Amino acid sequence: MAKDALIRLSHVSLLYDGTPALDDVSLEVGRAERVCVLGANGSGKSTLASVVTGLLAPDAGTVELCGERVCADGAPDLEAYRRARRSLGLVFQNPDDQIVTSVVEDDVAFGPENLGLPRGEIAARVERELRRVALQGLAQADPTRLSGGQKQRVAIAGALAMEPSALVLDEPGSLLDVRGRGAIMRVMGRLAAAGTTLLHVTHFMEEALEADRVIVLDHGRIVLEGTPGEVFSHGARLAELGLEVPFAARLSQRLGLPWTCGEKDLVEELCSGAARPTAGAAAAATAPAAPPLSPAPARPRRPLVSVERASFSYDARGRALDGVTLEVAEGTSTAIVGQTGSGKSTLLRLLCGLEVPDEGRVLVAGFDTRTRHGRRGARRAVGYVMQHPERQLFAETVEKDVAFGPRNLHLPEAEVERRVTRALDLVGLSSRREASPFALSGGQRRLCALAGVLAMEPSVLILDEPTAGLDPRGRALLRSVLARLRELGVTLVQVTHSMEDAARAERVIVLNQARVLAQGRPSEVFAPEREKDLVAAGLGIPRSLRVARELERRGMPALGDPLTTDALVAALGRVRAAGGATAGSSATAGSAAAAGEGGDA
Amino acid sequence: MALRIEIGQYVAARSPVHALDARAKLVCALALLVAIFCISGAAQLVAGAALVGALLALSRIPAGRIVASVRPLALFLAVLSLFNLIFVRTGEVVAVAGPLSVTSGGIWAAALYSARFALALLTGSLILLTTTPTQLSDALDSLLSPLARVGLPGHELAMVFSLMLRFVPTLADETSAIIDAQSMRGGAFDEGGPVRRVRSIVPVVVALLASGLRHAEGLSRALDARCYEGGRGRTHLHEQRLGRRDALAALVTAAFVAVLVLLAP
Repeated sequence: MAKDALIRLSHVSLLYDGTPALDDVSLEVGRAERVCVLGANGSGKSTLASVVTGLLAPDAGTVELCGERVCADGAPDLEAYRRARRSLGLVFQNPDDQIVTSVVEDDVAFGPENLGLPRGEIAARVERELRRVALQGLAQADPTRLSGGQKQRVAIAGALAMEPSALVLDEPGSLLDVRGRGAIMRVMGRLAAAGTTLLHVTHFMEEALEADRVIVLDHGRIVLEGTPGEVFSHGARLAELGLEVPFAARLSQRLGLPWTCGEKDLVEELCSGAARPTAGAAAAATAPAAPPLSPAPARPRRPLVSVERASFSYDARGRALDGVTLEVAEGTSTAIVGQTGSGKSTLLRLLCGLEVPDEGRVLVAGFDTRTRHGRRGARRAVGYVMQHPERQLFAETVEKDVAFGPRNLHLPEAEVERRVTRALDLVGLSSRREASPFALSGGQRRLCALAGVLAMEPSVLILDEPTAGLDPRGRALLRSVLARLRELGVTLVQVTHSMEDAARAERVIVLNQARVLAQGRPSEVFAPEREKDLVAAGLGIPRSLRVARELERRGMPALGDPLTTDALVAALGRVRAAGGATAGSSATAGSAAAAGEGGDA
Repeated sequence: MALRIEIGQYVAARSPVHALDARAKLVCALALLVAIFCISGAAQLVAGAALVGALLALSRIPAGRIVASVRPLALFLAVLSLFNLIFVRTGEVVAVAGPLSVTSGGIWAAALYSARFALALLTGSLILLTTTPTQLSDALDSLLSPLARVGLPGHELAMVFSLMLRFVPTLADETSAIIDAQSMRGGAFDEGGPVRRVRSIVPVVVALLASGLRHAEGLSRALDARCYEGGRGRTHLHEQRLGRRDALAALVTAAFVAVLVLLAP
């Protein structure tokens, strides 16, 4: 392989604002190899992608790209860089920034045009690549009107049309929904099968399973390297590095089973070994049954938000919401799930008084949003955290940004100060008060935006996919803040793509094609008889429930519909204890397993 | 409320106007615009309206899209005619309201200026509605190539123009998101005096600038990755070829100018 290496980095270091973004990195990627680079935000993986595509020259070390020695001991050769770049393709995070024209076909042609290829050749490549990413029907479409996943496929086609020797993908799926990410992974699978050299940078470990080789970066250094199996067996170490171990692997570890990444293997293993608990499982077996997640409310709570037969359309083409009725009780948490285009975001806009229903009405804290006065009242009662709220930060310090809302309310300075302090305290950013919001990490920026909304002291907090686009560390941080707010009695309504998040809410509302498909407690919404409807609506069920039902289908005794990993582990423990006849008498070991669980997405 | 900005958005269709060579289209449109701004009589106005109406019909663009593309500037048009109505003081006084009076000359000026402006606006948006940004930038590139010979960045100007059109909808979406988010945090966009309203715009502009910079950074990475190095050595997927159709367009334009000269009051 060493002779045939397309990309060769030796002892490469790069400083970024004085801190090392890459620190003595050596790496080789051979022809037709599929390499996955994993790392949390700030680990240097994006910098690595730029160095490998010849867009950034390191401060020290030697770089060889596609047979060109572009950088020798930190001295870049710009002409060699130019030549090498022609053989390297790059696709990165934000699809909007990669599209340069308003017609799909023209965009794919942009690269080949820059290479100075003859017209006939460009046309042939455009057609071929659009077919490869399954967009041939959209050659004349306007990219800004496509979905995120489709835009990203246009970007991939645009890179491939330049026939690069290697394609570098820098977090291509991190701003996409599950479906868009799936489509990108399928395209990558086809490319790998066709022998394209791929370097894929991501923080989703699941996406690394298919790679030939996995490299894990932390603080600009390679800390782990090997096949996916070798690397992923360091579960605890990966979690420390801010990565998220795949669900099946996490579950197999907690059950004390042999390590596996595949859900199927895990189910097989559980079925064959159900009657023979291993040492680790004995501990799990004694775990107490998980407390019910959604205790029935002791006192009747008054509805803070009620939507009565509300319908809404943006234009004559169809209804975005159609006869939706729902209530949100004070102090509860509600999850809204549904496919892209099911009306979730529109529903949130109605709740905020940003849109007025065409029919029916929306009451927020007693204010009817049909009048101007009512909308003003509703907006005061609601805190709205939209998608990617960090994109709207504007002030020079975190403190000033958070104080924007309270200042608009013309509160006395002492009150503004109190609210800012409290909001920053709630999200854990008190120490960054004087920092520029643009100097924060991605997860912190989102928390800063959240603090800005909390400083309004809303009685209901509405969030549109609050964890989208964050790395596992950021997601965990945000989830813990939301849990704290819930403990404090803040009413939460959140749109989410994650069925695991939905299962943790007290109520779940499922939207499908502008209507409410189901609503109720998670146990009701995810009940077995509803599974078919949910799948038909393009949704799934929580993973632990999926595994449990698969096990039951294979003859395991009833597991009682566990909605979380904790509940599943406990249920399996009970079954194994019963099967193993001699359940241990230890009553103390259970909590250890239960405590090990962080986020569940 | 979402901003629906439709300025400069291409609408695909098969029509004689779409099929024109973009260079011919641009040059003819420029000639038409100059001619339209020279209109000073009623007969000329009718001729101009007839030609622009015919071109719009020929383009097969849905009427709704045409209206949407000029709507943002309709307010400007209304203010313009109001000023004419009040401040032009030629002819007889038709009506008096307090210190203000409306004269027959004022009415004529208001009608003429707004009609002329509307015709020019429709001609401009006809070009943007029937020409893709790539065609536009290729055409500009070719028309501006004399500039390159004297060392001015003709091609780069064309590219910047085309990227600007590409980012209009993206930035419009972001602007409306920023306005929504800030009005949920008590930003006063529709209340208070003019000073307060203007001041409430500042945070929106700052947030928008930050997002513009972010896009610029991403875009420059994308342009580098796709080996964009200016106009040198670049080829084009779409061929630019002048044909009989384009000669016809030039003839129609020349005929229109002749008609205007004949109809001059």
